[in-house]
Amino acid sequence: MSDELVWDKTISDVNDGILKATGKPHPSYYVALSLSLVFLIIGIIAWALQITYGMGLSGLNAPVYWGTYITNFVFWVGIGHAGTLISAILFLFRAKWRNSINRSAEAMTVFAVITAGLFPLIHVGRVWLAAYWMVPLPNTNNLWVNFRSPLLWDVFAISTYLTVSLLFWYMGLVPDIASMRDRVKGYKRAMFAFLSFGWTGTLRQWHHYEAGYGFLAALATPLVLSVHSIVSWDFAMSVQPGWHTTIFPPYFVAGAILSGCAMVYTLVLPFRRMFRMEGFIRPEHLEALIKLTLLTSTIVSYAYGIEFFVAWYSGNPFEWAIFVKRAIGPYSFYFWVMVFCNCVFPLVFWSKKARNNQTICFIVCVLVNVGMWFERYNIIVSSLVEDFVPGSWGHYEPSLTEIAITLGSFGWFFTWLLIFCRFFPFVSMSELKLIMPKPLRPKTKLKEVKG
Amino acid sequence: MSLEHDNDELKKLEHKPHVFAPEGDFEAPAKDTVPGPYYMAADERMPELEADEPSMQGAKLDSKGKPFPVDRRDFMRLFSASAMFGATACVRRPAETAIPYVKQPIDQVPGVATHYATTCGDCASACGIVVKTREGRPVKLEGADEHPISQGALCAMGQASIQGLYHPERLKGPHIRHGRRLDPANWDETFAQITDQLKGKTNVAIFTGGSTGHSDEFLGEVLEKLGSSKEHLYTWESNGLFSSISKAHELAFGHADLPRLELPLAKVIIGIGSDFLEVGTSPVYHSKGFSLSHSYKNGKKGLFVQLESNYSLTGTNADKRHIIKPGTETTSTLLLVKSLFENAASKGSPAARENIKAVLDKHASSLSSAYADVGVTKAVFDDLADKLLKEPSVVVAGGSSNFDENATLLQLAAIMANQLTGAYGRTLQFEKGWMNSPVKSGDLKRFLENADKFDALIVIESNPAFSSPDSWAVEKALENIPLVISIQSFPNEVDHFAKFVLPNHHYLEAWGDEQSIAGVWSTRQPTVRSTTNSRQAEDILLWILAYMDKSLPYKDYQAYLKEKWRAIYEISGVRHDYDVFFKFVLKRGFTGSLASRTLGDLKELSSYFDSLPKSKSGFVLLSPLDYRLQDGRGAHLPVLQEIGDGLTTVAWDTWLAINPKTMKKLGIKQNQMVEVTSSAGTLKAAAYPLPGLQPDTLVVPRGNGHKDERSTISNNNGIDPLTVYAKKSDPLSGEPVTSLQEVQVTPTKEWYRLAATQKQNDIANRNEIVKKYSLAKAKKIQNKTVDLDTVPDLFPKLEKAAHHWGMSVDLDKCNGCGACMVACSLENNVPQVGRDQILLGRTMHWIRLDRYFYGEIDNPSATFQPVMCQHCNHAPCEAVCPVFATTHDAEGINSMTYNRCVGTRYCANACPYKVRRFNWWTHKWGTMGKRGQDRNPRALNPDVTVRTRGVMEKCSFCVGRLRDAKHFAKEQGRTVNDGEVKTACQQTCPADAISFGNLNDAQSKVSKERKNFRAYLMLGGDPDHGHYGIKTLPNVNYLAQITHDEPATGFGKQQGHGHSNKGH
Repeated sequence: MSDELVWDKTISDVNDGILKATGKPHPSYYVALSLSLVFLIIGIIAWALQITYGMGLSGLNAPVYWGTYITNFVFWVGIGHAGTLISAILFLFRAKWRNSINRSAEAMTVFAVITAGLFPLIHVGRVWLAAYWMVPLPNTNNLWVNFRSPLLWDVFAISTYLTVSLLFWYMGLVPDIASMRDRVKGYKRAMFAFLSFGWTGTLRQWHHYEAGYGFLAALATPLVLSVHSIVSWDFAMSVQPGWHTTIFPPYFVAGAILSGCAMVYTLVLPFRRMFRMEGFIRPEHLEALIKLTLLTSTIVSYAYGIEFFVAWYSGNPFEWAIFVKRAIGPYSFYFWVMVFCNCVFPLVFWSKKARNNQTICFIVCVLVNVGMWFERYNIIVSSLVEDFVPGSWGHYEPSLTEIAITLGSFGWFFTWLLIFCRFFPFVSMSELKLIMPKPLRPKTKLKEVKG
Repeated sequence: MSLEHDNDELKKLEHKPHVFAPEGDFEAPAKDTVPGPYYMAADERMPELEADEPSMQGAKLDSKGKPFPVDRRDFMRLFSASAMFGATACVRRPAETAIPYVKQPIDQVPGVATHYATTCGDCASACGIVVKTREGRPVKLEGADEHPISQGALCAMGQASIQGLYHPERLKGPHIRHGRRLDPANWDETFAQITDQLKGKTNVAIFTGGSTGHSDEFLGEVLEKLGSSKEHLYTWESNGLFSSISKAHELAFGHADLPRLELPLAKVIIGIGSDFLEVGTSPVYHSKGFSLSHSYKNGKKGLFVQLESNYSLTGTNADKRHIIKPGTETTSTLLLVKSLFENAASKGSPAARENIKAVLDKHASSLSSAYADVGVTKAVFDDLADKLLKEPSVVVAGGSSNFDENATLLQLAAIMANQLTGAYGRTLQFEKGWMNSPVKSGDLKRFLENADKFDALIVIESNPAFSSPDSWAVEKALENIPLVISIQSFPNEVDHFAKFVLPNHHYLEAWGDEQSIAGVWSTRQPTVRSTTNSRQAEDILLWILAYMDKSLPYKDYQAYLKEKWRAIYEISGVRHDYDVFFKFVLKRGFTGSLASRTLGDLKELSSYFDSLPKSKSGFVLLSPLDYRLQDGRGAHLPVLQEIGDGLTTVAWDTWLAINPKTMKKLGIKQNQMVEVTSSAGTLKAAAYPLPGLQPDTLVVPRGNGHKDERSTISNNNGIDPLTVYAKKSDPLSGEPVTSLQEVQVTPTKEWYRLAATQKQNDIANRNEIVKKYSLAKAKKIQNKTVDLDTVPDLFPKLEKAAHHWGMSVDLDKCNGCGACMVACSLENNVPQVGRDQILLGRTMHWIRLDRYFYGEIDNPSATFQPVMCQHCNHAPCEAVCPVFATTHDAEGINSMTYNRCVGTRYCANACPYKVRRFNWWTHKWGTMGKRGQDRNPRALNPDVTVRTRGVMEKCSFCVGRLRDAKHFAKEQGRTVNDGEVKTACQQTCPADAISFGNLNDAQSKVSKERKNFRAYLMLGGDPDHGHYGIKTLPNVNYLAQITHDEPATGFGKQQGHGHSNKGH
């Protein structure tokens, strides 16, 4: 589609425009950064208190042993999905529109996965042992970790995903860093030279680069499906009604992509203004993202429906009771928030007018993020609150500590993202040039054009 | 082998003969011949007890004689510790130093427990207990197997008393009051001052909780020596049953004693407002008997019908409850007497019948019109009479929920009923081994009448200031007595009025004896040297006498007892010399044989029945004794507060129970504060909807509501209902009226969240969790065996070890008393978390009691289900733990490795039974929230790891006990015998509802029970029809409850739960 786009910028504007904007963001950037830092500090204080005094500071209890923290974990892993989807799968499908947003999506992925990775640590009772015990270290006692446990699979899944995403992201950055190297002097030049691994943009380098990039894209593609499938097994592998269901892996993956796309939109829109990138990230690109959101939203709606159907059709009274209570029980508020945000509101995207109205899209995308957060909250809490034995039914409300740590995780995520955007181009210059029109008249400094 | 035979074997296994003392010769036991626990005599094995005098210890004094809160060394410690924490800011683990014996006592082996037999001192039933001590300190109490009252079991309160021993708020030494201030003193100074103040004063009185042993006699001697008289010994027990029953029997037969309930023989039991299973006169003894008589065996099951307006724990065990209007217990009993009398099969001597007839005739007309007032039809009474006369039966009347002005009349009516049923001599033993009353009837009243004449009063182990109605103004009386000496093992309200507040030994540190069953003497011996600078009350009196130069000729109370026991020795006919006898008795814990006497005929009773008691009008407040806290003597024990009430499941609070329909009518919601006003006062309590209450009754249990600031556990916790009772007494016994007060009810706008551990009252149609069979069905299928372990599955076969531990819980026997929860908590160092944490849902109990209501709201039935870790062979928790912190061992136990646990809590989510408990905090003594002090390591069981914050824990099948038993068996080159090892919950269960043993041994009780037709697995589906539920294959099985009628499957429309629980 981008072929038919009418660009008001050309390749020759790319490096100038993007790198200049990177160095001098709009003042709102600093407001956002300080806000993020405040949230981050709140979160750090809350976690420090929790480590000092105990998990009792959370609102968790018997029978709701998992709550906001695991919700956050799944939420952030989900967010982290769009990046690889956009950069790897869409790359393999040659969807050109991805080139303008893939860098931001990848950066989001990396930081979201890092954020997600914190939550198991925040969640466990003895964080000072968790890192040690959860890793299969050879030892003389021949004591190993339990390879049957989905939580252990999680450790592998998330770390693999993080590694591959990180490589992929960094690989894309190399040519851009080289461009930056060429524009600076002094220690910065040395630093960027080191970071760009001596990239000079020769044809031979490009040849290897393309092969490697394609290979990594192929490697990352199954991970998009595996990570969230494995995360869903954290639930599906237990006998807990409401969790123990085979639909979870595809359902979780669809949900993750939905939340990821919505999050990319939520991030790109303000960042685009902040760094004055309107010329490079075209409304058409954003519309394509919204279409993907709409698609995954319908898949998710379907999954919700099937989940209910299977619960009823299985004839399992425990399972059915959980689902009935989800819809009309004490926690039904969360359920309906989820349904409206994930299934109903995105329906406006069927209208082209709405798809191109950035305000509407932004609001709906934020709502989808809220809805996806509540989806996980709903799955976790409402299944645990009232399960098999009525005598041990309970209730759960997040405590202030949990809320503070949740805010802190947003602070943590945005702090890293904002810092990244300030120092590195958040639009992939090298890739953008692939889809942009050639300049009508070559500029004088030809050597800077890498595309 | 036929299945019928199997059931017989089961019966044999279950049958425990009544173990009264053998009447033959004594043999001094040799250690080798005594298997298992070996009970010690205190002075034999405890060299540290032999020291003559407890030295000054505890309080450190500064130069002015006041305790300085932090001494120099503590200051230095704190200073350096805080510096260190500041520097490291890491996990705080104070270094602990193990101090080995410099000179090890010859027969003290570290790590090997020593057991002492003694007698529980927490209530008047005087259960025999065995105290397990480790390295010289008691760690666990257990009922003594041979003891005729406890028969191996112990109630919640008895179990908990070890927490009283180590209670950090016990006084560390004697205190003397100066104005409002209570200053520590030393004993010499105290005795000198007391002597000073008592000089020339002869009008001295002693107020105690009473005893059935030699203590009362001793106190009488002390009083006489002081120049007062034995008459000034006042014994009062807030459980008025002792007074009312003994008074009634005094009036009826001329003996002020209590009949012993021989419940195992009673096939039909009719309770009228009775609470014999929870408080009564001897709850453990009664629970044992009830379990034998009432539970299902070979197609038979005893019948228990209860008539009550309260919904008591005893009532939940009834097969049928008839709800009567409050205040009509006596009338109901008389109506029953009438029906019995009219029944041709009724028994009783002619003279007795004549006396009964006189009573019935006197009220003939009012009786025949009383059915409507009671609320039960004549047909019901006739039917009950019929049932009573067909089989050995007994009528048990009266309980703490109906201590009103007719309490003794009710007992008289019950005596008449039991005369007609022929219970006396069979199910009611009044001629052979009757029960002694620890108290004289009406002593509180007598005390108040005489109080203004006293020069001095000594209060020993009694708390009339709290446990009597406020309108009786006991506090005023105490205030007006010039000199009050309060000798208590735990500080209480009396101390406020005392000039001298002296710490008494806890009963585990003291000497004593009890004779609660006539002829059977239980001994009490110290099991530990006193943990504080306390002295035994009797010894304190001896010291006071010595200071006053009026010494009694005894070195101490032990010497006194030894002197007195000579008489018992002489009648025992033992050929060994007295010392051997005494030592033997101490080892065993009791001796003697049932005393017997012959009873005269029933005396003329009609004169006591002036008019027929009518039901009360309007709302009526009932204040039964809380079976955990009694009259408040258990309120300072966190473990009792924590287990929660069985029926309401409310812990740490006092609730106002109202019938849900009445609540609706009055517009009251759960947790809404309700104001209850009477002529005497007002109280406010949060409402709890309790189905099955008579619609006009309100129930506020006693026990909580202390405002004395003596214990952080009990202070300001709950409400004391006795503030609203008008000053009335039972004219026959003189006991205060502490229940059935007419009141007005007004809802307020305030809310208070009651910490109920269970939020769902209804089993939500999940009938594979609690199974019930009707008696008819049970008879039909009783010869069937079930095979719970053959389940088609894909998992590899389990390895076979010598033992595969299993447990069987009989729901037909469990009566919901909660003793198992306390025993488990104390055995396994389970912390108490307090109200706030319970509200969050963070109880730590390894075994919990789930209570489900069935049937209608107005008259439901309740089933209790003890739930502990089910030790699944296919445990959902084991698969999901990433670090192998929970694994299956070769013996079928699902075991925790605390060291490896990182606290992902996935296991707890995966557990379908929700029995896993997470340490949300580093638990402190008592409650979380208040700045707690660390748990006293001496009070913890050294065999069980204390878990830290962030670690999952759960029932371990008392693995420490299993290890002990296996080591013991291994030493003797054998495997563990069936019944040799008991888990803590099983050991203490007064209903014998829990069996435990080796499932690989086909002859063990537990494997037979597992094959019993009643056996099922929780969430195990319906194996008969090929449904295996969630296939966790637990090693714990339940035995279905048997109901006389077709069991109700659901509970009437839910009232006031769930939503209203949240947010207020």
